[in-house]
Amino acid sequence: MRIAVCAPQVPFVRGGAEVMADDLVAALRARGHETELVTIPFKWYPGTRVLDQAFLWRLADLTESDGRPIDRVIATKFPAYCVRHSNKVVWVLHQFRQAYDYDRTDLGQFGESPEDRATRRAVEELDAVALGEARKVFATSRNVADRLRRFNGIEAQLLPHPPQSLPYRTSASEGYVLSVNRLDRAKRIDLLVEAAQRDRSLKIVIAGEGPDRSRLEQLAAGLNGQVEFTGRIDEERLADLYARCLAVYYAPLDEDFGMVPFESFLSGKPVVTTHDAGGPLEVVHDRETGVVVAPDAAELARACAYLRDHGDDASAWGLAGKEIAERVTWDACVDALLS
Amino acid sequence: MKVAYYSPLQPSRSGIADYSALLLPALRERIDVVVAEPGKRAPDADIALYHVGNDPDAHGWIVDALYKRPGIVVLHEYVLHHLISGITIGRGDGRGYLDAMERELGVAGRLLGLGVLDNLLPLLWETQPERFPLAAPVLDHAHGVIVHSSFVAARARDEGYQGRIWRIPHPAWPVHDVAPAGDVSGAPLIGCFGFLNMNKRIPELLQAFASLRRRLPGAKLLLAGAAGERFDLSRRLERLGLSGDGVIRLDYLPEERMWSLLAACDVLVNLRFPTMGETSGSAIRAMSLGKALVVSDVGWFAELPDDVVLKVPVDEYEVPLLERALELAAEHSATLGRNAREYVDREHSLSRVADDYVAALEVAAGGDAVDDAVLMRIAEAAAEVGIDDATVLARAAAEAGILS
Repeated sequence: MRIAVCAPQVPFVRGGAEVMADDLVAALRARGHETELVTIPFKWYPGTRVLDQAFLWRLADLTESDGRPIDRVIATKFPAYCVRHSNKVVWVLHQFRQAYDYDRTDLGQFGESPEDRATRRAVEELDAVALGEARKVFATSRNVADRLRRFNGIEAQLLPHPPQSLPYRTSASEGYVLSVNRLDRAKRIDLLVEAAQRDRSLKIVIAGEGPDRSRLEQLAAGLNGQVEFTGRIDEERLADLYARCLAVYYAPLDEDFGMVPFESFLSGKPVVTTHDAGGPLEVVHDRETGVVVAPDAAELARACAYLRDHGDDASAWGLAGKEIAERVTWDACVDALLS
Repeated sequence: MKVAYYSPLQPSRSGIADYSALLLPALRERIDVVVAEPGKRAPDADIALYHVGNDPDAHGWIVDALYKRPGIVVLHEYVLHHLISGITIGRGDGRGYLDAMERELGVAGRLLGLGVLDNLLPLLWETQPERFPLAAPVLDHAHGVIVHSSFVAARARDEGYQGRIWRIPHPAWPVHDVAPAGDVSGAPLIGCFGFLNMNKRIPELLQAFASLRRRLPGAKLLLAGAAGERFDLSRRLERLGLSGDGVIRLDYLPEERMWSLLAACDVLVNLRFPTMGETSGSAIRAMSLGKALVVSDVGWFAELPDDVVLKVPVDEYEVPLLERALELAAEHSATLGRNAREYVDREHSLSRVADDYVAALEVAAGGDAVDDAVLMRIAEAAAEVGIDDATVLARAAAEAGILS
């Protein structure tokens, strides 16, 4: 089968969605399908620009390439799923959340002007058309599926995907709590730093880059030796950090899915998250595969201290998570997407 | 976003005033709404919402405001002949009526209008308004139209209306525990609520009920509502042998009493022909209460699901079919009632209706500016590479929902 995997790209930014698209292409190729990743740059601001960008996808002709038909399109994210194809399958990682649950919050994009309100509605209408015409719609997490149902009335089939391929291994804990994430306000890494302020024995390592870095560094000033910012790191270093940590912190606000808990589990480590983290709660269960607390620095500090003081629990919960993570395979995903 | 809201309001005894009493609080929870009042200055707002019905006394001032400032029209019924005649002839503006008739039917319409003005023809809004709906003068000033049924949407399109149309169901009244009235009963008790006239098929209902009662002597018909001026209900009842205890006759009812009477009925009937494209508040109330409902198979009523109401076609078999439908509805009242209640909860929930209103108003208020901005950039990009006609691109954008 000739398959085009469609995903947007934000130039100079690489995150979980980009990794997932690359891995999907690799998995399809491994099964013998001629597969190509098709991307178009995505810039969603200011104002109505988000619609232009969606329109670019609408104009793309993926019916055939070089005189040969493209049999199927698998699109992953807004606005890539606006592409037209008679055999389009959408595997929704993200909608344009600024138009949905982020609207009228600090993370939103649209104000109260009639033009902004109408732009938000246009995104909603666009989703209705683009997702409505798909042969099948999958969601990477229950959170995404719920949002599709709540805002768009679309029933999506749940299909989580495996995390990126790393040389996962488990080593003895060196006592630090690891954060792996884009340094972005919505990821709430500041909560972890504040926890370190409350418990001066808590050590944290923050991996990743992003626009919130300088604010986080300011917040961590004065916590000498307690907080380490690694910046962007390679796969080997990341796997090593996972292997040696006490636990992994992952608590974005109402996250869609997040591969980090799976990566943590494959490294045999428990996850510390919050009640309002969304997607991660589908696999992080309190005192089974990690600790789930209120989004509060003091509670977070207590949870990390508990794991530090109860190493056996931490190990057992990490291993329980590993069993869950190992059940999610690319083979199963490809079967579902091509069914 | 601020919305100027034009509607008759309670204590006005109009279905649209009841509708607004239900909708307004839900809208106010979602957006800034300022209610316009007759004779006062038009409120400042991003967009105006005009509720239009056929009664010139209740809606004349609203159409006046619409003519001054186009906005979103909620077309509660499609036939507006009475309204238009009221705000033209009724104000001494015979020429306005002729213009409306010409807009509807060309020269022939103007001539018919002249016939009415010169008393050579009967008043068309009384005799055959459905043939001359006169919705165009209102639609001409509508930036968008909200309708309750596909039937009215289709009529507006047939009329040539090209603006945005949103179909938003009539909201259902929240139903709390309603104690059935204890002073009425029947086996079964069949209820018909609302204005009683030919248009509600009362003669056909009476015939069908008279026939049914011969087989089911315990059956009773509750007729609740004022009778039309030229509709001699008493004589009809007498002629059909229903002037005894078979028919319970009540006039205007306070809201609470109406609900308890509705709750006491086994079957409710809501017939209509010809239809003016209206939605029936009585029918919605009946379904909200989980009552078996018999309706005419026309207009909005025909769009109700087959497993929710029994629909009787308006043809030569109407009376015998109606008789059978009443009996069937009584036999299956529990199932029909349950289906009706579920349907109303699903399709007519106030919360959903209010959300749909906000969506429509937001698109209406800002949609043109969004379309212009996107189209401008598409056209600019196309023109820069020598494509001067970006029509095809614009069509693709519209098809994708990018342009509203």
